[in-house]
Amino acid sequence: MPDAVQTSPGAGKPPLPSTLKPFSPEDEGTLREALKRCSPSTFEAAIQYRKTGNAEHVPAVVIGVIERFVEPDLRIKLKDADDDLRLIEDLGIDSLTMMEIVILVEEVLQLSINNDELRNLRTVGDVKTFIDCKIRGLALPKPTKFIPIETIGAIMPIQPPFLFLNEASVSSTAANGKYKISGQEFFLQGHFKDNPVMPASIMLEALGQLAVLYLLEGAPTETGKVVSPQTIFFTGCEGVRAHRVCKPGDILTLSIKPKRMKMPLATFEGAIRVGPEKAVIVEEITLTYAFVDAVNPPVSINVNGSAHAEPAVPSPSAAPTPLRAAINA
Amino acid sequence: MPRVFITGLGFVTSIGNDAPSVTRNLRDLRHGLEVYPPFDKPDIPVKVIGTIKEFTTDSTDPEDWTYPAGYRIKRELLRTMAPSGLFAHCAMLQAIADAKLADSDISNSETGLYAASGGSPFLLNYHHNRLHKLGVLRCSPLGIVASISGTLNFNLVAAFKIQGASCGFSSACASSAHALGYGFDDLVLGRQKRMFIVGAEDGNLDAILPFAGMRTLSLQTDPNLASRPFDAARDGFVGTGGGVVLVLETEDEVARRGVTPYAEVLGWGQASDGHNVAISHPEGSGSAAAMTLALRAARVAPEQVDYVNAHATSTLIGDVSEARALRSVFKSGLGRIAVSSTKALTGHGLSLAGAMESAFSAVAIREGFIPGNPHLRQPDPECADLNLPRTTENRAPGIVIKNSSGFGGANVALVFKRVA
Repeated sequence: MPDAVQTSPGAGKPPLPSTLKPFSPEDEGTLREALKRCSPSTFEAAIQYRKTGNAEHVPAVVIGVIERFVEPDLRIKLKDADDDLRLIEDLGIDSLTMMEIVILVEEVLQLSINNDELRNLRTVGDVKTFIDCKIRGLALPKPTKFIPIETIGAIMPIQPPFLFLNEASVSSTAANGKYKISGQEFFLQGHFKDNPVMPASIMLEALGQLAVLYLLEGAPTETGKVVSPQTIFFTGCEGVRAHRVCKPGDILTLSIKPKRMKMPLATFEGAIRVGPEKAVIVEEITLTYAFVDAVNPPVSINVNGSAHAEPAVPSPSAAPTPLRAAINA
Repeated sequence: MPRVFITGLGFVTSIGNDAPSVTRNLRDLRHGLEVYPPFDKPDIPVKVIGTIKEFTTDSTDPEDWTYPAGYRIKRELLRTMAPSGLFAHCAMLQAIADAKLADSDISNSETGLYAASGGSPFLLNYHHNRLHKLGVLRCSPLGIVASISGTLNFNLVAAFKIQGASCGFSSACASSAHALGYGFDDLVLGRQKRMFIVGAEDGNLDAILPFAGMRTLSLQTDPNLASRPFDAARDGFVGTGGGVVLVLETEDEVARRGVTPYAEVLGWGQASDGHNVAISHPEGSGSAAAMTLALRAARVAPEQVDYVNAHATSTLIGDVSEARALRSVFKSGLGRIAVSSTKALTGHGLSLAGAMESAFSAVAIREGFIPGNPHLRQPDPECADLNLPRTTENRAPGIVIKNSSGFGGANVALVFKRVA
């Protein structure tokens, strides 16, 4: 993933409100015109932010601006959206709409956003965090990575038929994944007789696998070190409750968040939902892990004789990013 | 060589926003010209244009626009449109319904779209002002695709998921006639089975007023007298906008789908004056050559032609030039061939004109009439030997020529035939 956001141009600037410009009635008129298609609460939040510089108002402005550009029948998704709601896949926002959103946010919040910084904004949470860091002058967190099934297989020490993740997204603070119970899982033949039900132990396993993916892709590491897949094992779990029977056809939405990380133990909380329904809650799930020295990526020679570095794992950043897609125009 | 037919039409014009209205107004010779409020200023000498009714597109923000209730256009499509794009989009939907095309008939590698417009000076101006005033990073990322001259094809190809040939044509007032000609060629050459031919113009102040600088616009304040092609008292053209779409299909597609065409396209020709950047050749040499080539390509003798839908825009030089071209092509047969310019009714649609008037010709052929020259009182002596019916003739023309000419002396002639 491009790490351009790691060095935020906003870093080092004094935090607001010392940079706040006085807010004139003219500014209010311009703001009203700019936000004329947004909800009244968006305008109110923007006014408050511009008058006080209080960053608490920013999420309401950002969500309000996003909402204005989402097709009306999809806006309901934003109502009680969690931060994992994806801009492209869930809200139908294309790269050009993303630019429209950014330009309006820039105008309303009086800030400038570099093209490079846009690339990693994939979820509503990314946008909120990004804008928040931007106006506070903080360094930006590592962006959320989306990891498709092929890449999961290449990263993980666990392999089919015992891999229970179809897709996943990993940031420095959480990991989310999905798994569809196909009905072809070998253990469903016997669990139970003529009544296939996903075993709770396997659902716990799936959460553990998501935690493994987090350790390999999202967890902070020491310089020159990586987490070795060979060192990760399950050690224990606490407070496991199953709330719902899950059957073939159900799509499990898995999420884990690190609670404590201290080598060699990493403890997570986890949850599985099917749609809006709770399926499994785990208060604590703990894995062991260890670092090894990072090795330089192997160099391969192609038929034309030019050498290029192969990434150690297929990079999800190869997926079209909003900006790249826009430049294709 | 496959034969080519016109199987669907769509209209957003000053004389109607659907085929029945257009047909009625063409037959009854009711014009669509009005005094245009944005021209109601002392320093604007021009007052009349062919107005588009039922649409309001005077805002630079497409989300402010209004259009007839039957259309529902998503913001994601609207945001990249110029007014001409909205007109063309609506005309496209009509043409698709008229030709009874299924989604699979529209989006495939053998269905293409050729379009012509002058772009949107209105939006180009707006976005450039923003750029100069607020800086480039505050400019809409969509300003370019909404305003440069390819805006029609960009928008329509994406909105209708066109997968075949697509291209924009830029020969000013001959543009959409060129689009039709080259669309015909692609069908004849077997490259495509179906082509959408689109012409559209904003037809607003920014699109029309610059022609006043050339002194080519009529200064008449009476909408009934402003557009008078071939009349001795004509004083320039009346601008208009709108959008028109024609569906061209090969005979195999017509048979497969079992549709009744409006007319057959027999062929076309083009030739250039090589004379002046903006003024027609005084003898109409390029226009005459285009007609001669078109008749040859269509394997039609001049005496077989029943009706010429003239380019005549009501300008002093242009109408005479075309009259001379007609004289040199039809010679002694000239008096037998009905000639009219439907620009008397609509005004001059610039890039839209060729497609709009080809569609009018197709309507006249299928409905069996020849539209007259309603505003003609005293023909210019230079045009007096043309057969210029004042009223609509209730007979079906068998062979029709549609002339179009543009800046740089580009001339196109298209030949249409009645389907027996």
